[in-house]
Parts: sequence; structure tokens; C-alpha cells
Amino acid sequence: MEPSQLVVELSRWQFAVTVMYHFIFVPLTIGLAVLLAGMETVYVVTRREIFRDMTKFWGKLFTINFALGVATGLTMEFQFGTNWSFYSHFVGDVFGAPLAIESLMAFFMEATLVGLMVFGWDRLSRGKHLFVTYMVALASNLSALWILIANAFMQHPVGAQLDPATLRMQLTDFAALIFNVDAQSKFVHTAAASYTLAAMFVCGVSAYYMLRHRHVAIARRSFRMAAVFGLLASMAVITLGDASGFVDVGVQPSKIAAMEAMWHTEKPPAGLNLFALPSEKHEKNFLELKMPVIGGLMLTHESTVAVPGILELERQAVQKIKNGIPGLLALEKMQKDPGDQLAQVTYDVHRNDIGYALLLKRYAPDVAKATPAQIERAAKDTIPDVPVIFWAFHLMVYFGLLMCAFFVLATMFSLLRSEYRRRWFLWLAVFMPIMPWLTVELGWVTAEMGRQPWTVFGILPTWLSASTHSVAYMAFSLAGFVVLYSIFFVIEAYLMRKAIHDGPGDVGGRKQEPAPDVDLAPQLVPGD
Amino acid sequence: MTFKELVKFAGWLVLAILGLSLAAILGYWGPWYFAWTVGTIMTVLLAAFAGALYDRQAQDYGEAGENPEAPGPES
Repeated sequence: MEPSQLVVELSRWQFAVTVMYHFIFVPLTIGLAVLLAGMETVYVVTRREIFRDMTKFWGKLFTINFALGVATGLTMEFQFGTNWSFYSHFVGDVFGAPLAIESLMAFFMEATLVGLMVFGWDRLSRGKHLFVTYMVALASNLSALWILIANAFMQHPVGAQLDPATLRMQLTDFAALIFNVDAQSKFVHTAAASYTLAAMFVCGVSAYYMLRHRHVAIARRSFRMAAVFGLLASMAVITLGDASGFVDVGVQPSKIAAMEAMWHTEKPPAGLNLFALPSEKHEKNFLELKMPVIGGLMLTHESTVAVPGILELERQAVQKIKNGIPGLLALEKMQKDPGDQLAQVTYDVHRNDIGYALLLKRYAPDVAKATPAQIERAAKDTIPDVPVIFWAFHLMVYFGLLMCAFFVLATMFSLLRSEYRRRWFLWLAVFMPIMPWLTVELGWVTAEMGRQPWTVFGILPTWLSASTHSVAYMAFSLAGFVVLYSIFFVIEAYLMRKAIHDGPGDVGGRKQEPAPDVDLAPQLVPGD
Repeated sequence: MTFKELVKFAGWLVLAILGLSLAAILGYWGPWYFAWTVGTIMTVLLAAFAGALYDRQAQDYGEAGENPEAPGPES
């Protein structure tokens, strides 16, 4: 029995909603942990108590965020079993290993170390506590690494092959799974994006304190460190994003074509669409603003390599579907008669394109009798939603460049010691943290919607992967998740606001050096 | 050199060899993992340096008789 299209869509929505809520918390945890390590390093090296208070204050915000991040992450892993049962059956033997390791990282290693970091200030020596903080940073990054290794298998399945007898993917090369080029490029890009987000968060809260002339000593030091950290991280995000695109040209050309709204294969090097209104119906762009040459150079790092356009990819998909049909028929024969040698040979020849024949099965349950129109329709499905992917990707890039520019200014003003006087810039910094959150969510939309119509790229179509729940069940559970996660979000916002309002003065029951904060207000007038 | 120092030296040597081997393996099989390791360490250290530099600047302002946390010069 196959799930209805509406159930598949609701299952996708449910996973997307939970992931996007979860990803509100995760990047801050990953980035702030690393920034905390930097702050504590200064404390240990300089022995200045203010850096200890600083680390403890940001550590408090980190802990609130970490707790809610873990809470929202729990349900996602269960969803694989409840809502994506065929997917779990099909790739569970491969997908389960990195997911299990991630759970161990998050719940055992990371949680234990966070406990040591929070409660170990007066129990551990300076050096040991610093070591623990670095381990918290490492563990939070490793958690992300294992999730992204699992995700990369869905984007670029390597290190496994289908066992025709069980209809399950079997792990054949664990090293290939870990060193998957997609996992590597996604991990470094995501980690750097998380550092950028955390830096922007610290800059924003610090700017808020400076505007209110509260906790200025800690705020200015935090702002300085976060500005430099964010500048380097945002530069890394841009560079590594380019690397991610370079990888995707080879492994997911349909995603790249949608990201660039590239309908036709252009003479290399291809141009780059800065702005466009893509129309899937007309298979063209309206109001296109294009820079010549740049797109091909950025995507392929070559001037003579062509980037395939959407229409060419659709034509290639038609061939793959036709090639996959005999393979799928052979697989069905092998299910009935495992000793069928002819079917085995046919299967071996066509195995790489069987996934494409499964796409066709949606329109032609008996693929042997599929019409050219049905094949054409299935081939069109291989291209993800072009307008959504184009704009998600382009907004992500534009926001990333804006954030990099912000950090250039923040670093410059801080090094010149003039950031405190520039109230317009502090106001900007207070509102800037919205941008990295939007950007990371847009990044997920680009990566995951760009993978469609597959759950495992080129192997397992999304329409086959979901469980066969009723529509009512899916709608009710989706509404439940939205309500529950909204409550989590409100709790996070309340706790964060309270902690920020209380400020660093309450950390550890010790007040920070108060003099500068009190005396500053009159001096601000001329510079404002 | 005392025996304790020798053991300590040997320990650090083993750690360095392990680190270099790991870097070589990671550099070959996972170049971007390697880039992340080096890049993150550099980013943390430069951010820490920036924090320490702030203190140094504040100290200089203090020694010059100015409020170290003052808003800063007009540009």
C-alpha cells in the first residue's frame, strides 16, 4: 500500500516544521560553544576576572538554548520511524549508524560536558575547566557532523548498495560514508554559518547593553571578540558555500540548475542570475538580471565546463527513466524468483537508474506499460521547485554578504574603539541577529527542497518513502507539533529575555566592575 | 633532565606524532574536515587575541589618564 500524496505532503511539512524549529536553537549552541572557548581562553591566559564573568554570562544563555535544542531534537529522530517508515526500512541499516552516534554525542558526551562546564567553575582548576569548555565546543560540532553525515547520504548516497533480496540498502564502506564529499562541504558550511549566527547574537546583545549603558565593560569586550569571530566565520561561510556549490554541480545538478534558475545549457562559462522571476509554467525567467561568465566560473572553477540547464536535465532524466524500467522489472522478477539469472544480469546492467523508474511508478503503476507522456511527466518531477529554490538560495547569499559587511564595520569600529559612540550602528546590531536565523533556515530550504523529488537522491523517491497514515492523523499530529514547538519557542524567548535583562552582574552572585557603566552617560552626549 | 621531564617530553612527542598522523589522514581523505579543524582553531585564537587586545587598549587609555571604557575618539 502506498501513501496518498496529501499524506506525503503533510509528512514533509511536519518534518520541515520540526527541523526548522529545531534549527532555531542548534546553530546558536554550536557557535556559542566555540565562542565561549575563546572567551575562556582569554580568562585563563590573562587571569582577568572580567573574562570569567563574561564566559559565565554567555554560558548561561548557551545552557538555556542547549536545553531547548535537545528537547526539540528528540522528536525528529522518532519521525523517521513514525512518518517515514518505508524510508527507514529502506536505508535504516545505513542511516541508523550516524544517527545513533549523533545521539550518543548529544546526550552522553555533550550533555555530560555541559554539566561539567556549568557546575565546574569552583570545582575544577582553570586549565581543566578550559579543557571542558573546548570539549563542549568540540562535542556540539561533532553532533552536527554526524547529523550532516546522515543527511549527506540522502543528498549523495555513497558507501552503500541495494540488496535486491531484502530491498534494503546495506552499508558497504563506512569510511566512504564519513568522508562523503557532500558531508564534508555541508558540515564546514553549516559550522561556519553557526559561528556567524552566534557572533551576531553576541554583537546584538552587547549592543543592547551599550545602548542602555549597562554592563559596558563586558559588552564592549564581548562585542570586540564576536565581531572578529563573526568576520572570520562569515568569510568562511561564503568561501565554503562556494565549495558546496562546486560539489553539487557534480552530485546534484538539478539542485544547482534550480538554484540558478538556469533553464538552458549555456556556452561555458555560464552567466549568473542576480535577480529573476522564474516561471515553471513557461520554463523561462522574467525580469532577468544576469552577470555574464561569473556563474560558470563560480560553479565549476573552470572556463570551459558547461553547467547543464533544467531542460537538458529533464531530457537526461527521460533516458534514465527508460534505462531504469528494465532494471525495476528485473528486480520485481528477482523478488518472485531469487534464482532468476537473466533478471540478475538485467538488474546489474540497469541498477543505477532504478530509482528513476520508481519515479515513473507514481504515474504508471505498471512501468512496462508507461506512455511517453507519463515518462515525460516523471522526468519533469526530477527538477525541484525552481522559484522557491532560486529565491531561498539568493536571499541566503545576499544576507550572507550583508552580514560579512556588518562584521567588517563592527571589527573596524571596535578596533578604533568607536563602536560605543555610534548609536546608529548599535541599533543596527540589535536587529541584525534576525538575519542569520533567516539565512540558516533559507539554507535548509535550499538544501532539502533542492533534493526533491528524492529522499535518497537518485535512489528512493519521496512519494514512496512516507508511512501510510490517514490524513486526519497527519493533520492532527502536525498541529500538535506546531503548538508544542511554539510553546518551546516562547519558553526560550522568555528565559533568554530574562537572562539578558538580569545581565552579567548576577552571574555567580558576583557583581562586575561597576565604575565605567555608571560614569559614562554624560560623556555620550557630544558623540551621539 | 629528570625522569619526570623525560616522560613528559615523550608524552608530548607521542601526542605530536598522533596529531600529525591525524592531520595527514584527515588532509588526504577529508580535506574540508581538516580545513574546519585548522580554521576553527585559528578563528577562536584570533577572537581571543582581539579580546586580549581590547584589554591592552583599555589599559593604555587608563595609563594616559582617560576613562578606559569611554566611547572612543571622534573619527
